[in-house]
Amino acid sequence: MAQFVARRLLEAVVVVFLALTAVFCLQFLAGDPVKLFLPTDTTPKQIEEYRTRLGFNDPLVVQYVRFMRGALRGDFGNSLRQQQEPALRLVLDRFPATLSLSAVAMLLALGTAIPIGVISAARRNSWFDHLGIGTTVLGQAIPGFWLGLMLIYVFAVWLRWLPTSGRGTWLHYIMPAVTLAAFVSARFARFTRSMMLDVLGQDYIRTARAKGLAPPRVLYKHALKNASLPIVTLLALQLGQLLGGAVITETIFAWPGVGRFLVQALLNRDFPVVLVGVFLTAVMYSGLNLAADLAYAWLNPRIRYA
Amino acid sequence: MRTISAVLALALLLGVLGMASTTVTNAQERPFVVALGAEPRSLLPMLIVDWTTNVQQMNIYDRLYYWDGDPPRIKPSLAAEPVQTPDELTWIIKLRAGVKFSNGDSLTSDDVKSTIEWLLDPRNQSAYRPRFAFVESVDAVDPLTVRIRTKEPAPVLRYYLVDFTVHNSKYIRQVGNEAANRAPIGAGPYKFVRWDRDERLVLEASPTYWNKPPVVKRVEFRFIPDFSARLASLLAGESDIVKDVPPVSVDQVNRSGGAEVRGIPSSRINYVALVNFKSGPLQDRRVRQALNYAVNVDEIVANLYKGRATRIPGALSAINEDVNANLKPYPYNPDRAVQLIKEAGFDPSKLEFTIDSPSGRYPLDKEAAEAIASYLGRIGIKVRVQVNEWGTHLDKIINRRTGEMFYLGWGPALEAQGTIAELFRPDRAYSGFGTSNLTLEINKILPVVDRTKRKAAWNRIQVMLYTEAPWIFLWQQHDLYGVNKRVDWKPHPAEKIFLHDATWVKR
Repeated sequence: MAQFVARRLLEAVVVVFLALTAVFCLQFLAGDPVKLFLPTDTTPKQIEEYRTRLGFNDPLVVQYVRFMRGALRGDFGNSLRQQQEPALRLVLDRFPATLSLSAVAMLLALGTAIPIGVISAARRNSWFDHLGIGTTVLGQAIPGFWLGLMLIYVFAVWLRWLPTSGRGTWLHYIMPAVTLAAFVSARFARFTRSMMLDVLGQDYIRTARAKGLAPPRVLYKHALKNASLPIVTLLALQLGQLLGGAVITETIFAWPGVGRFLVQALLNRDFPVVLVGVFLTAVMYSGLNLAADLAYAWLNPRIRYA
Repeated sequence: MRTISAVLALALLLGVLGMASTTVTNAQERPFVVALGAEPRSLLPMLIVDWTTNVQQMNIYDRLYYWDGDPPRIKPSLAAEPVQTPDELTWIIKLRAGVKFSNGDSLTSDDVKSTIEWLLDPRNQSAYRPRFAFVESVDAVDPLTVRIRTKEPAPVLRYYLVDFTVHNSKYIRQVGNEAANRAPIGAGPYKFVRWDRDERLVLEASPTYWNKPPVVKRVEFRFIPDFSARLASLLAGESDIVKDVPPVSVDQVNRSGGAEVRGIPSSRINYVALVNFKSGPLQDRRVRQALNYAVNVDEIVANLYKGRATRIPGALSAINEDVNANLKPYPYNPDRAVQLIKEAGFDPSKLEFTIDSPSGRYPLDKEAAEAIASYLGRIGIKVRVQVNEWGTHLDKIINRRTGEMFYLGWGPALEAQGTIAELFRPDRAYSGFGTSNLTLEINKILPVVDRTKRKAAWNRIQVMLYTEAPWIFLWQQHDLYGVNKRVDWKPHPAEKIFLHDATWVKR
């Protein structure tokens, strides 16, 4: 087990390193950041001076080595756009907002999607099946920005039940969490349904029913438990995606999270911030995947890693 | 059940971690809320040139001088009187007595000196450094008198002292840049309370402000990047000021009952540059003039902008203090346009141009570029509209990689030098046009300190520009603010949101 964890950790380090290198090289295709930060009355000569001072005129290799050395020490340099501020801290400052919204959205998605999936499988081809799965698919098909804006207009502008945007109270969570959950739950519902259908056809379920167990007990205790293993994998992937920042939802609801911040950084060519974002996202994905693998071993004692 | 409990436990853990840092606002009296697209890039004064950043800072720091009234003229604020120039190289600023920072420290000439030296220090990477490069020395003559010596005559300094914010030198030396950015101390009408990143900047009336205390006691700048969401916050009564309402949404706001659109001709002008840095038909003045005759600017203003733009005849707008008021806009005359192009030796139907345009940076910029292209199409000229992402657009202008024309806005433009010297000399970053004669004339005025002589020279140059037709002269854009009816606040042509001027409407 220890060996397995060690190998996965090493793999994670390689993934992070490769991601950083790739983005470092790609950022130069985006164009020159310096001009975006200087006032319009700056002369080309002065722009050159800034480029030199910021190190953009050094050969690519020199810049790369300098960046990697800093990154190893946890120093990604200062943001170009928000000068005088370390890029790492700017990104970390925004994590709690993304974290809490992802958690609420995920709870909401699982809380609706899993029951829908289970019941749809148990009553296959019933009206509930069609309605339940149909609704979740609709949730996934509606673009997030449209759903978000409609929610804002109905519940905030028209009915005035909820705040339009921002963060502060639990009321602020409702609309962004629903927008995110609407998208995520379809996948969970369909996945749960197909896993359940698979399991419900197994011999041991027939045996359980033959023993005279109550149907809910068969469904939840025997079937769902066995069907849920692959859901953990899906959960890890979806959570990784949400934690990387739900860009559109965060933008529409002015949610002060990571995704919105990183996209702004990208548009403004704030390279140090973009690199921090890539670094943290890579770390997170690797971490969640590792966590999912370990959870497997815990959930299913038959699985052991060499 | 182990799976489900594991999943729930993980989700709960994440939730608790996240919510722990959430701050719950008390439902006291609602603050005055200004919804902006982004947070300030810094709260350190004189570091960054950026409208969003500067408009928030000025409420914390106040300024030495500012543009007041309409048409805007320079007035002292932290300074006590207009800047004096005893000789061409010396500038004297007298400070207002009794001005205090929000922590009780007095604002003295040392603070002004320290701010200038701070922005000139290359380690601070201030974007203002190039503007003050001509400063030779700054002295604190006495606690209320600052003397600036310049290396060469630099009359433009008069304008660079406008919106000049002053830091607290004692404080910044004590805590350093990073801490001063996170908890700024200024001498403005409001003092810093809290800055929740990407969420809000909270300010409250400063008890030490030199002028009468602000009526609005608590101010919040909220950062809502998406325009529709900003508009929604206004319509829901959560915000009091929202800038740049698109003309198509004006009726929606006015019909809402709780808010209305207040518009003002801005000091920002929009134009189409006719680039003469490459060989081609635009080298010929007659072709450039023809393009001005060929576009019906009045009709674009009336139909596309519904009158919410004010035409400019030349390179400066009517509210610019150096404008030559005798110029009249080029009339719409497509026949004259064709005739001029033929005189220049070209066949209009053989001309092909590309116009580079941003999209959404200025009101209806892309749509205006398309309208212009279609007017030119009517006399046979083929014009392709190339729409760029904003950063790319700037890159193309600076690197001279645009098509024969590009669309740009410029401002706040309230005096001649900031526009003419920047946009009509080939060595300047955003210029699209230059002739040796024009450069010579412009360079001659720059060191002239005498204001009457300057005014006469700028008048002459504006006539030259009118004839040279380096742009298709377009309009001053109108700034459209969505304003909550419960507040009394008037927009200003220089795009300032100085909340000392705001009050609540009495009901």
